[in-house]
Amino acid sequence: MARPLWAGSLSFGLVNVPVALFSAVRDQGFHFHELHESDGARIEQKRFCAEEDVEVPFEAIGHAYDLENGKAVIVTDEELQEVAPRRTRTIDIEAFVARDEIDPMLFDHPYFLAPTGEADGPRRAYQLLLAVMEESGKVALGRFVMRTKEYLVTIGPRDDRLALTTMRFADEIRATKGIDTGGKKPAKQELDQAVALIDALSADWDPSDWKDEFRARLEDVIERKRKGRTIEAPEERDEPEPVPDLMAALEESLANAKRGGKKGGRSKRGGRAKARS
Amino acid sequence: MPRSLWNGTISVGVIAVPVKLYTAVESRTVRFREVHLEDEAKIEHRRFCSKEGKEVPYDDVVKGYETSKGRYVVLEKDEIAAAAGDPAHVIDVESFVETTAIDPVFYAKTYYLGAGAKGGDAYRLLHDALEQTGRAGLGRFTFHNREYLAAIRPLDGVLGLHTMRFADEVVAGKEVELSKPSKGPAKKEVEMAGRLVGSLEESFSPGRYKDRYRKAVLDMIERKAAGKKPKKPREKPPEETPDLMAALEASLGGGK
Repeated sequence: MARPLWAGSLSFGLVNVPVALFSAVRDQGFHFHELHESDGARIEQKRFCAEEDVEVPFEAIGHAYDLENGKAVIVTDEELQEVAPRRTRTIDIEAFVARDEIDPMLFDHPYFLAPTGEADGPRRAYQLLLAVMEESGKVALGRFVMRTKEYLVTIGPRDDRLALTTMRFADEIRATKGIDTGGKKPAKQELDQAVALIDALSADWDPSDWKDEFRARLEDVIERKRKGRTIEAPEERDEPEPVPDLMAALEESLANAKRGGKKGGRSKRGGRAKARS
Repeated sequence: MPRSLWNGTISVGVIAVPVKLYTAVESRTVRFREVHLEDEAKIEHRRFCSKEGKEVPYDDVVKGYETSKGRYVVLEKDEIAAAAGDPAHVIDVESFVETTAIDPVFYAKTYYLGAGAKGGDAYRLLHDALEQTGRAGLGRFTFHNREYLAAIRPLDGVLGLHTMRFADEVVAGKEVELSKPSKGPAKKEVEMAGRLVGSLEESFSPGRYKDRYRKAVLDMIERKAAGKKPKKPREKPPEETPDLMAALEASLGGGK
């Protein structure tokens, strides 16, 4: 198993459970490196003082914060460390809330918590917390410090484990004010047809139905390039035009969907997900 | 009026819904510029060839993928674009699923979708029909030179779009080793813990939780701008739990 990103204890009332933190996602992306075109050597980035035109060592770099009056405050690493939250080793549960009260857009990074240590009591406390939250549909809200930052987190059950998710703060969510919400309220008949179309195109959510085709194509491009073949960019297709008669388009899409073309009309890029309605 | 990041069309069946994509989440972590402490001048990042030790102009920099240690395949911009996916500005909705069936762990980033210039009625219809059915539309689209799987669902009066993680990017619970206790929690313990959870229960209001770290950094900047000394934080050691039942009882006793 991967090394934990953090270890400490989960504090629940006066109950402390030693836990380790693991990421619940893994990076499968492709990482490119910058190379010098003429000799293929790796590019290194160096920090230079723009004024003196000399390389600057890491210790001689400060952090500038621009004030509204045009001035800047220069802050050192030490000063930042001084205001960093005290390095506690606990995740403090502050409250429990109903899981469905939290919109997932507030979730940032997902992790798992695993109990550590040999003692039986804390392991039982871990299971206890898991059981209680599973039963009640509640998740815990808490805070903890990782590296130099304090995070707001939810802790709840996932896959028979306690999952921890770091959260966005409310003021990091933009208001939807000013975003165009479209035209008039749809007529009942239109809404009924649209609901029927959605039903006809509905499937069970199964993440394994969806493959990262971008990654697969990139792999393919790299492989062909390695063998010295040329690669051509795809041609762009036209963006579909809004239809003049929404009702007629709904009927046509619904008829197509019922005929089994799960794309409900066009089959240009179909055949990816299995519909099981 | 916010500025859109991308304009395109959601396509469902033969219905086209013109949309604009907007930022929904904006990090408010305090950001700094790098400066040279000595003269407060700007720091520039310059590119150097690791072999020749000479500065390299950006035009002579290419992107390489490491196929084995020290061996690279160089890809041109349009070769990466060839892999990116359908360049048309279309979100092809392929199917609909129950929104509550999607584990939020699959949501990567969140955006808002607003109605585009034409076809506002179709936007409203899609929004209302998704709301009524409790479903999200799933489809692919190409954005910033890569193809994404996206889930579209009603969100705060508009349509929200989540870019999605793929199944192999999500760690399953069974991959995390779990040392089980010799026996499960006793009935009485579950009961006590249930009461403890109940005593700490509240309704969720996101605005109540402030970013205390951000505030500490901003306060320090303010003090520094005013020429004052920064404050020192305190330290507190964690405690141990010897007896689960006693701890639960003590928590409940002092919890209310």
